[in-house]
Amino acid sequence: MRLLIAALVAIIPLWPHGVRANHFDAKAQAEFKAALEDAKKAEGTTLIGYDHQPNYANWGGVQKFFTDKYGVTWPPDMKSSVTAMAALIAEQPKPQASIVYYNAAIGSQAAERGLHEPYKPKGWDLIPKEHKDADGRWFNIHYGTIAFVVNTKALAAAKAAVPKCWSDLIKPEYKNLVAYDDPTVQGTAFDAIFTALWVHGGSYDNFTPGIEYLKKLHPNIISYNKETSYNPSLRGEIPIWIHADGSGYKMKHHDGGPVEVVIPCEGSTVFPLNVALVKNAPTPRLAKLALDWLNTEEAQRVFAESFFRPIHPGALTPEIAAKMKPLYGSYDGLKPYDLPQKVKMVDAYKKAWIEQVRRAR
Amino acid sequence: MKQRASGGLLVLPLVAFLFVFLLYPLCYLAANSLVPGGGVLEGRTKQVGGWSAGQWLQTVTLENYVKLFGDGYYLSSLLHSVVLSLAIAIGSVILCIAPAWVLVRTRFPGKRLFRAVLTIPMAFSGVIVGFMIVIMLGRWGAIPAVLHWLTGEAYLSMTAYTLSGLVVAYIYFEIPRATLTLEAAIRKFDFDLDAAARSLGATLWQRLWYVLVPLLLPAIISTVALAFAVSMGSFGVALIIAKKFNLLPVDIFLEITGYANFEFASALCVVMLVVTLTTNLYLRRLGEKHYVFKQR
Repeated sequence: MRLLIAALVAIIPLWPHGVRANHFDAKAQAEFKAALEDAKKAEGTTLIGYDHQPNYANWGGVQKFFTDKYGVTWPPDMKSSVTAMAALIAEQPKPQASIVYYNAAIGSQAAERGLHEPYKPKGWDLIPKEHKDADGRWFNIHYGTIAFVVNTKALAAAKAAVPKCWSDLIKPEYKNLVAYDDPTVQGTAFDAIFTALWVHGGSYDNFTPGIEYLKKLHPNIISYNKETSYNPSLRGEIPIWIHADGSGYKMKHHDGGPVEVVIPCEGSTVFPLNVALVKNAPTPRLAKLALDWLNTEEAQRVFAESFFRPIHPGALTPEIAAKMKPLYGSYDGLKPYDLPQKVKMVDAYKKAWIEQVRRAR
Repeated sequence: MKQRASGGLLVLPLVAFLFVFLLYPLCYLAANSLVPGGGVLEGRTKQVGGWSAGQWLQTVTLENYVKLFGDGYYLSSLLHSVVLSLAIAIGSVILCIAPAWVLVRTRFPGKRLFRAVLTIPMAFSGVIVGFMIVIMLGRWGAIPAVLHWLTGEAYLSMTAYTLSGLVVAYIYFEIPRATLTLEAAIRKFDFDLDAAARSLGATLWQRLWYVLVPLLLPAIISTVALAFAVSMGSFGVALIIAKKFNLLPVDIFLEITGYANFEFASALCVVMLVVTLTTNLYLRRLGEKHYVFKQR
């Protein structure tokens, strides 16, 4: 009996943690804080990162949380995925940022372009295989789903019904009511055009179904904004914004906007977002600790307040999950894809979009 | 002699400043535009400006310019920028000459306030003006909303994203520049000539057309030149509201931030710079030609 208990006690620490990333316990937190104090002494108390837009995936809340709890200033940055990558290319070998966040497709491209320093944060094994790079050049922290973020008040004023399907958006009654951001600048916007391709039967090398759809959508588009359309969408200037579901839920639940989320009836795709250590980072120790922290339930729970689904499922509280209900459509019809193959087609598809959609008369 | 030396010393800070912040970057820009380009869409990984003088000599090429002038898209951007800027410059002068005249010639309560209000648009960056136009003339802007309330039809909705919206926005931030420059010119105007015309029985229109405009033409043309240069370079407005209308500054922005094609962006900058400079020089020359009287 005593032996059995001893064996059980010995087994507990070895027990696989499985889906719950509860490795950030009191002891780990104390170690984390001590390491952070050391890093602060060596590198100061400011951590610069790229693509931390306060209204995107609750970066504003995350940075405030981190500053309040751990005393490191982590200022916002208005770059988007593509502009962050362009900035890192321009600034090598002396980048300004130590840490970077992207749309996973763009972040993987950046990794392949040698802009990241491999780093496997604490709790690496808890990240599912498809959510991390085998060499540690990036890992995902959460994911969104491409959806229609619908400002119902603005749509009602325009006397148009809430659209349910991709096929609705190209109808003439939605003229000047739809927008998605410029996919050559914004990562999420790239996933918007990727999803338009994917649900219409396109493939990694056949862009025609996507481009044909986007051409038909073009007359209904208000503009292809280079900056995020979060505020115009909340205000009603853009009644239908093709963007992340989380942006719509945030407008609805946090900003009190007349906003609903629609998952299109033909289906949609999910897009992960990843983080990485920048090569030649000015403050690598702070950045590594921040990456450790981003892989904890604590961090991902703060992100999840903005309705992006955390990679560690335990970080999604039932209260938040309950608020992620689309007005129409469901999360059952999501179409899978292979991320590495998608990464390879990003540039060619963007080029096709520039030539045939944006520059088309 | 001593005075001249100290005068030279006083100029030195500006010369040094211009050298560091104007001449050096321009030379760099010109050199960089001759380096083979290629952005992230072509799989770019290398950093910007990572060339030494020796490497530069080996790789120097005109391919960026060949691409620029061989691609109808970039030529159309250039054409749009030039035509829009010229139209804006002429339009804003026509719009601002009367207020400038009023500011010089009449006294009225609140004149200082009027002038101060006129200069407000100068304080805003282009991006802010762009957002303002969206709020006023957007899909559901203030003006369409009021018109909808009055007439039941949201007239002028979506104007912000059209060419008209761009024109309104550009004229908006040209107003203070044009008014202030014209005001300074009108101040120097010899009003005895106007008084003589009036005593000879000329109507207001005759005085304006036969006396004022010919005498002020040099100032008008140099105001057009200034407004043209400002419009050519302004990109914040276009970034926010230009949907289908491609303009060179927005293309430069996209080449840098979207495609990381810094060399091609440099070539675009050089072309824009050359076009702006030559147009400006030509306009100023034109202005000098039109001096009716030699300067006293």
